[in-house]
Amino acid sequence: MSNYIPTIGVEVHCELKTNTKIFSNSVNGYGQMANSLTNVIDLGYPGTLPTLNKEVINLAIKAALILNCKIRPKMHFDRKNYFYPDNPKNYQITQAETPIGYDGYVEIDIDGKKKKIEIEEMHIEEDTCKSTHRGTKTLLDFNRAGVPLIEIVTKPCMESGEEAKLYLEKLKELLFYSDVSDCKMEEGSMRADANVSIRKSISDPYGTKAEIKNIGSISNVKLSIEKEIERQAKLYDNGETFLPQTRRFDDKLNDTVLMRVKETGNDYRYFPEPDIPYVYITEKQIEEVRKTIPMLPDKRREKYQSLGISEVNAKKLVQNRALSDYLNELLDEKLDFKTASNLLLGDISGYLNKNEEEITNTHLTKEKFIELTNNISDGTLTSKNVKEILDTVMESDKNIKEIIKEKGIQNITDGSAITEMIKKIIAENPDSVADYKAGKDRAIKYLMGQVMKESKGALNPKMAMDILQEELNK
Amino acid sequence: MKDKLTKEEVLHVAHLARIKVDEDEIEKYQVELQKLLNDVDKIKEVEGYDEERMIAPWSKDTTPREDEAKEMLNPKEVLKNAPKHSGNYIEVPIVISEEA
Repeated sequence: MSNYIPTIGVEVHCELKTNTKIFSNSVNGYGQMANSLTNVIDLGYPGTLPTLNKEVINLAIKAALILNCKIRPKMHFDRKNYFYPDNPKNYQITQAETPIGYDGYVEIDIDGKKKKIEIEEMHIEEDTCKSTHRGTKTLLDFNRAGVPLIEIVTKPCMESGEEAKLYLEKLKELLFYSDVSDCKMEEGSMRADANVSIRKSISDPYGTKAEIKNIGSISNVKLSIEKEIERQAKLYDNGETFLPQTRRFDDKLNDTVLMRVKETGNDYRYFPEPDIPYVYITEKQIEEVRKTIPMLPDKRREKYQSLGISEVNAKKLVQNRALSDYLNELLDEKLDFKTASNLLLGDISGYLNKNEEEITNTHLTKEKFIELTNNISDGTLTSKNVKEILDTVMESDKNIKEIIKEKGIQNITDGSAITEMIKKIIAENPDSVADYKAGKDRAIKYLMGQVMKESKGALNPKMAMDILQEELNK
Repeated sequence: MKDKLTKEEVLHVAHLARIKVDEDEIEKYQVELQKLLNDVDKIKEVEGYDEERMIAPWSKDTTPREDEAKEMLNPKEVLKNAPKHSGNYIEVPIVISEEA
């Protein structure tokens, strides 16, 4: 690629997780029979009056808070006018003049450095109906009409597809963890547009902008930006210019293609929505909302690592919210968190995946999980034992002590008994001991194998290894 | 104050409203639409116009609606008013390739 500096801004639409729509009492739902979640307001019938859903404001405040935005104390809605079948009242209710949030940021890690992706503004609007194009007809489903959205607009502050990808991953994680949205790009509850331009030097004005609309996945955001940069660079290299334009990413062509647009800029003829009164947001309301924000992903990873959990495990836990939430209820317990995290991400995840079950639907109470972890830490249970008893642990009300008894598990946890056994093995294998002393690492593995064989696997390998090393080094 | 819109302005507004205007009507609208604009402009003469824009006739806080679902329309009722439908979907002519 030639030497151009790309400038990228990203706009994200996110559906809010409310029970009902933004301006009507019909259900906000996905995957239902077409046109079964509507009323006259969603269908844009004349003479209907929209009423604002309280929860939309609360979720938008929450989003503004986690995106470090300032919050406007007084705001109104505006009409964006255009003729298109996805919106039969011929305008979309949005916030053009007074977005609820502004001047925020999201922090990403890029090439080992932290970078603030600046958020220009965040506003509330209604979703349109979903149109599907089939041959010569367009099919309309109004279940989506009136679903509350927030649109989050960054400043043109990114320089690569990778940065845009990292920003979107972070944004998605934040909005998902704070229960603002379920952020499912595959179901369209999170949608992204990217604005891309390039220029030769930082002192040049911005280049001509292309907007890539409705990109269906985070990886395609990165890819489409990279393809668009390439396309623009090629044009400039050939001495060509182009007009500002709207494009879309075509999966099959693996490239961006030109799109026709509804209207642009002034043609939307925005004006204040007279049917909805001013909305006021008080400090008290903001503080109430702030209290509902759970521990966010960055804080979780940091906390887990401070408790002795590895960086890899901390990341994996946060990728699985159900497990992370489960563990978060135990943060004040005295627990071997390293073992606990291995248990959650290993055997327990295996069980849950195999049985397609949620951890909260199993019989693994907090008390039982703590008991299980402690039994592994002190050597009462080996990893082999855990595999043997896990189904019973997850599916019965019995506590771990009862299960151990029932299964007849008797491990050697008595240190002196293990020492005796190890002394015996050492005495029987003088050659291996000599090899070990001569620096051959393999020898200790062989001796360890003998120890496990002698005990029939009924002891904690880590404990045995520690004692073996101690005895050998005497 | 202007006394008429340009021909291009009339055609542009007609396009935004998706209305076909015959050649012989254009001149009439050039004058009529400008007259409307001039009338609306008179609002600016009202005292206090430049102060903060009045969006609603009252500026008090109104309590928004609770997030509780209420009865919805039966899809059959919804489709009744659509000229065409395909299964439970409302059907319209394809619009994706429309000139902007």
